[in-house]
Amino acid sequence: MSIGQRIRRSTVGRSISRSPDVVTDRDRATKHWASFLLHIYPVKVRRQELNFRYSWFLGVTSMVLFGSLFVSGMYLMFFYVPSPATAYGDIQNLQTSVAFGQFIRNVHRWSAHLMVLAVAAHMSRMFYRGAYKPPREFNWVIGVVLLVLTMLMSFTGYLLPWDQLAYWAITVGASMAAFVPWMGAQVQATLIAGDQVGSATLIRFYVLHVAVLPGAMVILLMFHLWRWRKDAMLSQPQEGRA
Amino acid sequence: MSNQEPQIVGERRVLGIVPGRPPVGERKDPQQDDSVMVWPHLLVRHAVVSVAVLLLVLILAVLFDAPLRDIANPTVTPNPEKAPWYFIALQELLAQFHPMVAGVLVPGAIIIGLVALPYIDRNEATSPGRRKVAVATFTIFIVVWIALTIIGFAFRGPSWSWVWPWQEWYGVL
Repeated sequence: MSIGQRIRRSTVGRSISRSPDVVTDRDRATKHWASFLLHIYPVKVRRQELNFRYSWFLGVTSMVLFGSLFVSGMYLMFFYVPSPATAYGDIQNLQTSVAFGQFIRNVHRWSAHLMVLAVAAHMSRMFYRGAYKPPREFNWVIGVVLLVLTMLMSFTGYLLPWDQLAYWAITVGASMAAFVPWMGAQVQATLIAGDQVGSATLIRFYVLHVAVLPGAMVILLMFHLWRWRKDAMLSQPQEGRA
Repeated sequence: MSNQEPQIVGERRVLGIVPGRPPVGERKDPQQDDSVMVWPHLLVRHAVVSVAVLLLVLILAVLFDAPLRDIANPTVTPNPEKAPWYFIALQELLAQFHPMVAGVLVPGAIIIGLVALPYIDRNEATSPGRRKVAVATFTIFIVVWIALTIIGFAFRGPSWSWVWPWQEWYGVL
């Protein structure tokens, strides 16, 4: 008996994983079904889903980048105070005096850029595959909202370093909101919390960036993945091939 | 019906006869069982993809530092002032068209169009050859959008004038 088997078959091991030993696919399915870590996955998928060209694995790529952003963002939060008096200095301090500070900031920024790309590419791949066709229409709609949320996450995070790049990119971006008919000025004022980007904008974007938007994103992702799991066997054979 | 004597066919009792073709025959049966266990087949692929993505992030993070310019100064406007790259196509449109078109109609149409797509396109075919209109429309949109993004990102300089990126560079991620 190998060490792994001994641990698994000990009293403690049996209490952690309460499924039978895996001998057949049926045991494996039982174990999968009972596993918390695997509960976001269906037990079976269509064979075509294993092919790179089916999805280009862009959905899982987006998930991994979201995870990377979550972890690196947590680290950055320890060293950052969202106030015009401190924000810029905190970033400088982060880059020069905090262990791995510059590296984690780089990881966060690159993951963010890549996530916008990956989510947009995921949507395009799903379009070309026709994966939004009945009965899976609504998961496409959730996906579009997730894309918008991803861009808003990136946009709100862009302001936080409080340098010239951040300040003016947000000023330009927010000025587009002013073109909304009838209530453009109000929309813009609500977005940046005033008539120009300032300390009220910074705290608003910060709360949106670290609490409101990630929360909304996690909840919608749960729906998105739940439906993906439930619909795993619905994807049509040969979907999207000529 | 319940008053009738039960009919016996081949030692089985027939409970009823339903007109029409059998429902199972109408279904599209997969020719063979084309399902596979997620664990290990899909999980191992997802693990490989995850490692590859994290490796890419690691390499980019080691090679290229995130930019940090001077501290924000509301009185000094940089020229050009550019939006983040994923909004730069809109900024390019704003430079070309009336704000009502570029700032309201186009983004509004994109969002509404994407959300409503599954309800507009009711064609059930999934092969590209049998959904030419949808594929062509989407492809044109994607190509135009990418082109506008590249133009706004790399080909625009001070006061949104045209520059060649190999001569002057104004794009910032």
